[in-house]
Amino acid sequence: MLSRLLAALRRRTRKWARKRHGIDPDPVILSPRRIYIVPSALGIAFTLMLFAMFLGAMNYANNLALGLTFVLGALSLTAMHYCHRNLAGLQLRSASSEPVFAGQVARFGIALENGAKLARHELVIANEHGDARPVRVESGGRVVLNLEVPAPQRGLLALDSFELSTRHPFGLFRAWAYLNMELSCVVYPKPSPRGLPPPPQETDTGGAQDMTRGDEDFAGLRAFHPGDPPRRIAWKAYAREQGLHVKVYAGTAVTSHSFDWESLPGLGTEARLSQLCRWVEDAYAAGRAFGLRLPGVEIAANVGPGHRQRCLTALALFDERAAHD
Amino acid sequence: MISASVSAKASVRALAAKPWPPTLQRLVWVIGGLTLSVLPHVPHIRAWVLLLAAGAAALRIATEVKHWELLAKWLRSVLAFVALLAVLLDYRTLNGIDAGTALLVVMAGMKLLETRTVRDLTVIVFLSYFALFAAFLYNQSLLRLPYMLVAAWILTVTLMRIHQTTTAMSVREAVAITGRMFLQALPLAVLLFLLFPRLPGQFWSVVPARGEAMTGLSDEMSPGDVSDLSISSELAFRAKFIGPLPPPAERYWRGPVLHDFDGRTWRRASSPFRPQEVTTRGPIYEYDVMLEAHQRRWVFALDVPTRWPERRTVRASDLQLWSEQPISTLSSFHLESATGYRVNEPLPNLMRVTDLRLPEGRNERSLALAREMRERAGSDEAFIAAVLAKFRDEQYFYTLQPPRLELNSIDDFLFNTRRGFCEHFASAFTVLARAAGIPARVVTGYQGGEYNPLSGYLLVRQSEAHAWSEVWLGGRGWVRVDPTAAVAPDRIERGIEAALAEGGETLPGTFLRQSAFLTQLRLAWDATNTFWNNQVVAFGEEQQRWLLERLNLGDDWQQLGIALVLALISFFVAMSLYLGWRFRPRGKDALAQIYDQLCRKLARRGLPRAAHEGPSDYVARVLQARPDLAPHLVETRNLYVALRYGPRSWGPQLNNSALSRLKFLVNQLKV
Repeated sequence: MLSRLLAALRRRTRKWARKRHGIDPDPVILSPRRIYIVPSALGIAFTLMLFAMFLGAMNYANNLALGLTFVLGALSLTAMHYCHRNLAGLQLRSASSEPVFAGQVARFGIALENGAKLARHELVIANEHGDARPVRVESGGRVVLNLEVPAPQRGLLALDSFELSTRHPFGLFRAWAYLNMELSCVVYPKPSPRGLPPPPQETDTGGAQDMTRGDEDFAGLRAFHPGDPPRRIAWKAYAREQGLHVKVYAGTAVTSHSFDWESLPGLGTEARLSQLCRWVEDAYAAGRAFGLRLPGVEIAANVGPGHRQRCLTALALFDERAAHD
Repeated sequence: MISASVSAKASVRALAAKPWPPTLQRLVWVIGGLTLSVLPHVPHIRAWVLLLAAGAAALRIATEVKHWELLAKWLRSVLAFVALLAVLLDYRTLNGIDAGTALLVVMAGMKLLETRTVRDLTVIVFLSYFALFAAFLYNQSLLRLPYMLVAAWILTVTLMRIHQTTTAMSVREAVAITGRMFLQALPLAVLLFLLFPRLPGQFWSVVPARGEAMTGLSDEMSPGDVSDLSISSELAFRAKFIGPLPPPAERYWRGPVLHDFDGRTWRRASSPFRPQEVTTRGPIYEYDVMLEAHQRRWVFALDVPTRWPERRTVRASDLQLWSEQPISTLSSFHLESATGYRVNEPLPNLMRVTDLRLPEGRNERSLALAREMRERAGSDEAFIAAVLAKFRDEQYFYTLQPPRLELNSIDDFLFNTRRGFCEHFASAFTVLARAAGIPARVVTGYQGGEYNPLSGYLLVRQSEAHAWSEVWLGGRGWVRVDPTAAVAPDRIERGIEAALAEGGETLPGTFLRQSAFLTQLRLAWDATNTFWNNQVVAFGEEQQRWLLERLNLGDDWQQLGIALVLALISFFVAMSLYLGWRFRPRGKDALAQIYDQLCRKLARRGLPRAAHEGPSDYVARVLQARPDLAPHLVETRNLYVALRYGPRSWGPQLNNSALSRLKFLVNQLKV
């Protein structure tokens, strides 16, 4: 009950902070004005202890005890400044966030960059789904932290607001800043379980492949690209230290799949996308060429990771209504 | 538990090779900090309390090293309860410093047994701070201060280390950061100390600390009490005179005045007397007396206090000064006194009866002797002179080590042992006077004092504890008679050491007082201590008022509040500015600064560097527009490229000369 109330309160504060600070640019430098600080539970306990000390020292009219109390009190106020300064002026920049499949956990990379002359300690980055381990950023250093956000649905997953906080130096205070950087991560559709066989391969008749090339005759070498089948690598050339090349043959009848939205009647949008995703993944894993056809989107047959990413992104961002309009 | 600690030690040795796991490191830091803060309590805390805490610490470390389970929760609860009960039974209270400290240590030990999280560890650090605080309640001496400060610092380092989850911070860095923080906190702490209003009086009644109740005079006097005290060279109080000092023979400091005698022990009167009107004789001395804490209510004033702070003290009918509160901390009183006085009214009946009363059936020989001497003397004055002459002329000796006296102590002393310290003579004289029909009482206190020319203070030590008599003589009132002066005049004139030296006795530490150099050192140290005690330990309402007047703030509490708020605000501003400066952006290196300067110069002429341009491309473009700059710019570019991208093996010297050449070139560049 209480925890739910607290969570609601936290959401409200985040909303309020978002309204107050707006969307942060990338990179963003934390200005002192947007850093909040309150005593932690330990800080409150410390205050109570100081108060007890104060009463005792006054009661016994003991000046040294009183002095110790004041020193500790002043020390805690100094700690408050250190806690606040530990965040102020820090620069945050988005780092790469790899696309994921729906149902997985997306990781948003946030780089903390410390341009100040002093190191910053115990920085914690957190959102409502958890936090990263505290890190230290040296003067002039940069540390990339990952914020995890579950990605239940395909599409563009936006990183909601998150917090950067610290309890340095003594854990008596907690300083934090709300951040709303417009970061997003592509979430591919979840590949459907293997079931439907892929459409048969068809011999390519489009302009993508050269008809004159055959499977038999050696036509020369070209530079290796990731995704080329290993058995075509020209190892002899590699042994001569000429670099990694693949043998190209002429006269090959290049075949490829064409994965078509229309070939899956009777399924819902998401199910179709899942199925297409499965085919793309299988074909990519087998190293076969494939093309993709969606309403309003057509991607010619090709191979390689870049092609896969293009296809999967098209699936992720497919918007049925926009396609029909 | 012993076997546990032994095996823990063995495992610790095995661990020494590789770095300790962080949880163990934290635990060791916390236990170390706790030890440091409990150490000052060792002299006055019960041994079992310390053993219990040490055992708990050893068990907890063993648990950590051996990866045992923590004790079960119910067991820990039972242990904590038993420990609490033990403190309650042993000290019979949980109030007061002694019991409170014991409870603190015991509970810190019990808390250790259940530490698992950082929060638990932090609680123990807090308890350690509190133990340190409590140590100040026992002892505020200057000697202690460095230890206490270092201990507080180490505790703070501990606090920082246990909140450090990354392992990147070294101990040295933590020590440096906390040290710096302490220094930064100090000015505010000092301002708070000076400006925070001191409230007179106490919020709740204080149970005096056991450690301090031991020294000083008590309100009873049995043979041997004062001589026991004389062995101690501890300070009883200091006095600073405004104007001349009284001569040594007049330095009688009045403490408890004793009326009731049971044949062996003198005690205070059980019923209060009506105060008597007093007129003083001789000069009036004005002085401050600064009492060390002695946990009793009496204030030692020069013989007859004539003015005293009436809010805090009251003068009893026997002229003893009483404080409202027990002197539980170093306390200062501003007094005026005379060394001679007379009482004009007749002796009240109750007082006469009390001061003539003698225990029945005791010391019969002495009483008979007194009556016989009184008859022979003819007058009270002549009787007193005769008794003093008896002490002086017959074989009576002044000694620090008098033999034990039997039940009839006066008889035994006067007729058998004949060796005594001041209390023997005062006691015997008072009894003889009473037996002769002269009202008499015993006054305890101090006699003498050492003048410290460096601080201008008269130092009165426990070794100067003394006892003398006062007798009531018709027409003269109360008259001081010091029988010790008859038997050992040096005691009064030249101090106790001289008096004892006559008989070949020495006080402990006499050697220290005989060397001139050591005396100088001792007095210098005492002057430092006096300053410390006056300005810091005894800093109170009066000093605060004085300070405010000097600062032209008036003694208005409202002004004080404003000053406090101002202090806080300036601390906040100063801290913000300072930390802003400390966390300023890293400057570029010298080379980059020169390059920036070059770019700025060229940009002013309408040739700004594009973001994607490196030095070579940029200079090439500039030269197209301004071929006249070629010789200058080409050398500049070559130098810059060589310095920025070239090998570092040039060595710093060549690097520096190239750098200054580059600087020169850029400065010379006329665009």
